[in-house]
Amino acid sequence: MTDTMNFAPDFDVPLEYMRRTREYYLALGYDNPYRWAHYVDAPFQPLKKPLKDSTLALITTAAPYQPDKGDQGPGALYNAGAKFYAVFSGDTAVDHDTRISHIGYDRKHTTAKDSNTWFPLPLMREFAAEGRFNLAPRFHGAPTNRSQRVTLETDAPEILARCRQDQVDAALLVPT
Amino acid sequence: MGAAKDIVEYSGVPRFLFSDFPLGNSCGKPHEPDTQRFTLDLALKVFESAIGPRTTVQSPLRWTEDGDWKNDYNNIARMPPEEVAKRRAEFDKVKQVALSQRKQAGVA
Repeated sequence: MTDTMNFAPDFDVPLEYMRRTREYYLALGYDNPYRWAHYVDAPFQPLKKPLKDSTLALITTAAPYQPDKGDQGPGALYNAGAKFYAVFSGDTAVDHDTRISHIGYDRKHTTAKDSNTWFPLPLMREFAAEGRFNLAPRFHGAPTNRSQRVTLETDAPEILARCRQDQVDAALLVPT
Repeated sequence: MGAAKDIVEYSGVPRFLFSDFPLGNSCGKPHEPDTQRFTLDLALKVFESAIGPRTTVQSPLRWTEDGDWKNDYNNIARMPPEEVAKRRAEFDKVKQVALSQRKQAGVA
């Protein structure tokens, strides 16, 4: 007989968010399951020059703090009122107050008190200062507005255009 | 850099540094700068070394030793019926807010 005493527990695998979410909304009484974006192919471009000579842009789904849009945390309930509907960009040389109350993050196990866990701009500035890469002059905010059509046809092309204006070589996407 | 492995891989991306952490912590643990630095550093290494699309590397960092947080997220089996009813009412409200905002923004 094989001794399985030292194996990790069966549940301890990457959480199946799609299955969990489908079952959750079905139990809540919604039988129109969400369709996540899905492609058979994925794009790939090798680096054209060493990372230290490349310009890297940060793309985030975090929202700028908007004092007139209700509780945005830390610890706020889901706040759809704090969503944003157009791409925004910010100066990477200065700090920004970004929040994730408009997104379905794990509210039981995370307090959203430390923005460095979803918006790594300060650390990226440090890495750039250490010579790891060149930091693009702007970061970009991608709206999460429940319309895949708007994401694909409006927001993504806008972010790409802004990255090209800044002569960006690569993008670091941090979705929450 | 992300924490929802199935969703990111279902979509399909060139390179992916996966942290097996609760959503909201794609870049490391709160108030633990060492883990944040480790995570960004690993992401850059994945970026430089990937040889093809859909390269996923999983960070070795653990959120908790027992991993039990994974059993909580939107888990109906761990929710009493009154909690389910409360969440349904909240979700109906949220959907209304989002719809009216999308209309206002001209993207509905």
